[in-house]
Amino acid sequence: MSDSRPAWSNQFTADVLRELRSFGPLALISREWAWGEARGAGVRVAVIDSGVEHDHPWLGDCVKGGVIVEYDARRKESVKILDDPKPRDLFGHGTACAGIIHKLAPDAEIYSVRVLGKDLTGRAFQFAGGLRWAIENGMNVMNLSLSTSKQEYYGLFHELADDAYFKNVLLVSAVNNIPAPSYPSLYSSVISVAAHEGHDPFTYYYNPAPPVEFGAPGIDVEVAWADSNKTTCTGNSFAAPHLAGISTLIRGKHPELTPFQIKTVLYACASNVTREGGQGTGDG
Amino acid sequence: MNETTSTSTLAAQLQELVRAVEATGAALLPSSNDELLQTIVEAAARIFGAAAASIALVDERAGELVFRVAYGVGSETVVGMRIGLDQGVAGYVANTGQPIALSNVQNDPRFARAAAEKTGYVPKSILAMPLIVEDRVIGVMEVLDKISAPSFGMQDMELLGLFARQAAIAIHQSQQLDALNHAFLENVRALVSPETAVDIQRALGTGDAAQYDDVMELARLFQTIALLGNAERKMCLKILETFRAYATKTG
Repeated sequence: MSDSRPAWSNQFTADVLRELRSFGPLALISREWAWGEARGAGVRVAVIDSGVEHDHPWLGDCVKGGVIVEYDARRKESVKILDDPKPRDLFGHGTACAGIIHKLAPDAEIYSVRVLGKDLTGRAFQFAGGLRWAIENGMNVMNLSLSTSKQEYYGLFHELADDAYFKNVLLVSAVNNIPAPSYPSLYSSVISVAAHEGHDPFTYYYNPAPPVEFGAPGIDVEVAWADSNKTTCTGNSFAAPHLAGISTLIRGKHPELTPFQIKTVLYACASNVTREGGQGTGDG
Repeated sequence: MNETTSTSTLAAQLQELVRAVEATGAALLPSSNDELLQTIVEAAARIFGAAAASIALVDERAGELVFRVAYGVGSETVVGMRIGLDQGVAGYVANTGQPIALSNVQNDPRFARAAAEKTGYVPKSILAMPLIVEDRVIGVMEVLDKISAPSFGMQDMELLGLFARQAAIAIHQSQQLDALNHAFLENVRALVSPETAVDIQRALGTGDAAQYDDVMELARLFQTIALLGNAERKMCLKILETFRAYATKTG
């Protein structure tokens, strides 16, 4: 029953999913053009999460380093950044996201930005500090499974999202699993993602009535987990890395594209968008 | 009125206030908030067809989660148990404020495996939901092992969200009341000099104490009645109202 689903994934069920068309020059964008043959080489992806287990068997040697962001009230930025050359994962969630990205874009470099831990007091500052580090340290794509619903941080995260856009860093963010405002997923330059029920990693949908713009697999997804394990997970936070992976492929093949241009390519190639002239997008 | 008399009057008034606060607290809230939380986890476990359910509260200072109530398999050993906020599925949920559903969690030794093994019970599927009050995560509610299916889905996630909201409100109210009581008593202590405080202590143990015991007894009765049906409550109200009318006339 679609009416008993969480509001966010409502938009991607078969009965309400809107069939859309791409037209004019947009209809020339095919999956083949967008990411055909691409493997994400040369793209640096930051996973802002619980850490990434660098030697997990599902990750090959894609994890190239990372940082741990700790809350430190005495500092101006309220955080302390510690180098983490061989990252570990506290929970398994960051490793799960990295595994999905690596599966889609096997040649991309993944960096762990750990912003979680035992101390809950400065969580939003750690999260913001992680974003800031990734923007300033040459990351091209960021996967955010986290968000804040605190209105007081609206400005802080908006500034970071704009900064990321102007520095050509693409933010891909899971929306809250509970229908509530969440930042930075609500900002226009961010690719916001909720879960749909499918399992094909390249099947994703565009929603023309945001705030949630994209739907990707996030229900019963088999993922990597801490301590060389795997598990099956459900949540919007497993949908986001699918779009992060596809965006990484696009970025790798077309390094000149800006975040809004990548979003346009994603729209044109979405599974519910038919190209003018009758061709579907699943031609890649 | 000399100073000693006015001080002892003040002491008596304060004493009365303390008693009134205690009585009101007992009348407004279940005798133990845990009772309500226990009902919530039990209802959740039954509705989801889950083998077990629990609520753990965040202890920010210790950086830990403390299991407050539990229902089902392993519940006797779970209550009172502590796990680090940097551990397990519950820790992740407390950290992010995001619910998550996992299955085949046996593959995840960090799912507080050691703790789960202490209870002799390692679940196969788990759904963990944050308890949120004003954008702050105050705890985590978990349901374990859905009996009818291998995993919990998005619909389960939404439904558990409703239970979690109830639990969060109950916990928040109880914490508020505790804080209020604490602030009140602290203020009383600050108002009264140490010598007077001794007087209050003495006064509490003697004199009109019986009168307040009655109030407490009444409060307990109200509480029991409030848990009965609508008709019973209405009837009690009628009886009390009649008694009040009679007492005011004759008094």
